This record gives sequence, structure tokens and C-alpha cells, in this order.
Amino acid sequence: MKFGFFAAGLAAALATAAIAQEAEDPFADAVESRHGLMLLMAQNLGTLGGMAKGETPYDAAVAGKAADNIAALSSVMSMDLFPAGSEYEKAADSFALPSIWSNQEDFVKKISALNDAANAMTADAKKDLASLQAGMNGIGGACAACHKAYRQPEE
Amino acid sequence: MKRVLLGLVLVAACVAAFVIVTLPERGDAVALGQLSGDPARGQTLFWAGGCASCHAAPGAEGEARLVLSGGLQLPTPFGTFSVPNISPDPLQGIGNWTLADFEGALRHGTSPDGKHYYPSFPYTSYAHATDQDVVDLWAFLQTLPLSNRPNDPHQISFPFDQRLLLGGWKFLNPSTAWVVPDPLTPEEERGRYLVEGFGHCGECHTPRNALGGRDMARWLAGGPNPEGKGTIPNITPAKLDWSTADIAEYLKSGFTPDYDSAGGGMADVVTNISHLSDADRLAIAAYLKKVPPQN
Repeated sequence: MKFGFFAAGLAAALATAAIAQEAEDPFADAVESRHGLMLLMAQNLGTLGGMAKGETPYDAAVAGKAADNIAALSSVMSMDLFPAGSEYEKAADSFALPSIWSNQEDFVKKISALNDAANAMTADAKKDLASLQAGMNGIGGACAACHKAYRQPEE
Repeated sequence: MKRVLLGLVLVAACVAAFVIVTLPERGDAVALGQLSGDPARGQTLFWAGGCASCHAAPGAEGEARLVLSGGLQLPTPFGTFSVPNISPDPLQGIGNWTLADFEGALRHGTSPDGKHYYPSFPYTSYAHATDQDVVDLWAFLQTLPLSNRPNDPHQISFPFDQRLLLGGWKFLNPSTAWVVPDPLTPEEERGRYLVEGFGHCGECHTPRNALGGRDMARWLAGGPNPEGKGTIPNITPAKLDWSTADIAEYLKSGFTPDYDSAGGGMADVVTNISHLSDADRLAIAAYLKKVPPQN
């Protein structure tokens, strides 16, 4: 009987903890999606960057595919991935600053600047190495503009 | 009585010697006046020197970074410095300055009326600028738009508000010798000129002592951020193991070798340095490989 009470108590405690965890972090999917998107972006940028730095030989087809991927990934960036509240110190693992929501118009403008830079790169990457190298500036600038304004720096 | 008098005379002599030894200096205006300035070269130096990072309006982007209206507040352990207007506006900016005034400010930290500037303006690094580069940068600054924003006073408390003491600070923190000695290749020398001079990288990446001077024995070894929380990374070869190509790419596009992007104050530095040539960025990287490693 004693054990029964204990088991029931434990089950209740576990259920409460699970609900609490659920309630604490309703933004886990959004944050994970954003991080996954950034990781895929970095992977494809690595292909372009390796050629830009002269670490791997320039290959128009490979570079073109990576640039197409980056353009596609950029087009996925939108406010849908940033539900209100999924911010630094409110959602686990989030480095998104609250100014994203208070300054939403500018944030969205910076997303379109990224889309423009990524679209320009799809042509540059397929053209020749010099164009690819020059295009890295545009994409890098678009990434940095957003990260500088809207990402909490890591300590 | 005699002893007291002698003491007073000694103190007075010491004060006089301090003031004379640490009088605000200026360069040779006649030599500079014989050179002619090239604003196009000056533009490259403008970006290398990062002038816009402090002197453009806070948050300015694109073309607005060429309007040097000032206004940024720099919080430090000694007080808060207000960055001045250095646009060519004759009233609020530096439109009435002569080339000699500009040289005194840039390389010696001396104002046109002969006072010491606070070293929040990195003249300790700009002191390395060549005569021709001073003249070229001055020529470029003349081409920039005017701003009539009036300057805010610095908010510095006693005793740091006594500018006379800055003469002592300058005496303790001489800035003319190179940190990384010869021999260097021409590329490494160019990198040294950019890093130790105009780029003033050591102003943040070298830790500071209690008096706010750079600890030259720990050149580029990083430390706490003097302007707030967080740390400034060690960029000596002991910690920065990126290839020269990685460093050059980072300074151009802001991408780290993991394709994250530069953050904080460094994002701004990349915006400036991206205006330089690939050769200059590779020179900076080549120089960094020659810096004594520090753990």
C-alpha cells in the first residue's frame, strides 16, 4: 500500500515535471529550426568559402549548387521562424534579441537584403572565381548586419 | 624655515619639469606642407583607421558612415567620453583646422589650442602614420559631408578631468617604436603598419594596466572588454590558429572558418577593413603570424 502511494506520487511528479518542461519551453521547435537552418547555411557557405580562399579548386557546378542551396535556405527565413517570445533568456538556447520584435520592420528588411545577396550569388558562383570571391562580401555583409543588430553575443 | 623653502623650490621645480617634459607636441608643419594630398589614397586610410566606427553617428550604415558627426558615448573606467564631430563643418566640426592642426591631433594627441587629447582617441597607434598618409587622409576628410551637430562634453570626474596629467600618461606610454621588430618581409611590414598603426588593433586586443596604458608585454593577447562586458580575444598565434587565408576572408566578409559571422565591435571593423585590398588583408594576416605567441 505504501508502495502504491509512492508510485502514484512519483507518477504524478513525473507528469507535472513533463508538463512544466513543456510549458517552460514552447519555443524549442522554432529555436531548433533556426539553428538547423543556420547550420545548413554554414555548410553551403563552407563550399563557396573554400573555393574563395583557394583551399579547393573552383568548380562552377559545385559552387552553383551551393549558391542555389543558400538562396533556397535564405527564402525560408521569415517571421514564422521567430514566434514572439522565442528570445534570449526566455527560450532555451535562443540568442535572438527582443529588438527583433520591437524593430520588426527593420529585421524583415535585413532578411530581404539577405535574399538579394543570396540571389546575386547564384549568378556569381556559376560565373567565375573572381565573381564568387566578390560575392562573399555581399552575403557576409547581410549575415553580419543581422547578427550585429539582433543576436546576443556569446560571452 | 630654510628647509621648507628648499622643499617648496624643489616641488616647484619638479612640477615645472613635468610640465615642460610633457608639453603637448606637434610635428614639423613645414615638411608636411610640401606634400600634396591624394584623397583616393586617403579614403583607403580612412577605412584602415576605422574613423567611421567612432565618428559616424551611432548606428549609421552605408553612405551615412561618411558623415562624421560624432555623438557616440564611450564608457570607460575613467568616465564617459563623447566622440566629437570631425566633419568639415567650420563651426561644429574641424573645417577651420589647418593641416598642422590635424597632424598634431592624429599623431601627437594635441588639440589645435595646444591641449592634450584623451587616449580614447587612439593617437598612440596613429603616431605611426607616415607624413604622406597624414596628408592624404586630411585631403579625403575635406571631401566628406558637413554636419552641424554640436559636441557634447566628456563626463570625466576628478582627477582624470585634469588634461595636464595626460602629459604624464603620454610620457609613460610612448608610441613610436614598433612592437614586432625587424627583420620582416615587405608584406609583413605592410601588415605591421596597418595593425600597429592605422588599424589600431592593439587598442582593444592588448590588455590595459591600471592607468589605462597598453600592457605591451602582452601585445594582442586580449583581455576584458574595456567598454563593457565580455572579453576581447587573444589574436596572437598561441590562440589564433587560423590560416592566413582564413584571417583575410574574415576581415573581408566577416565569415569565421566555421561560417559564423563576426560579432560585436568586430563586425564594424570588418565593414571598414572590407574596403581595403586583398593584398592589404593578407598583409595583416602575415603580420599576425609574426606576433610573439602569448597564452
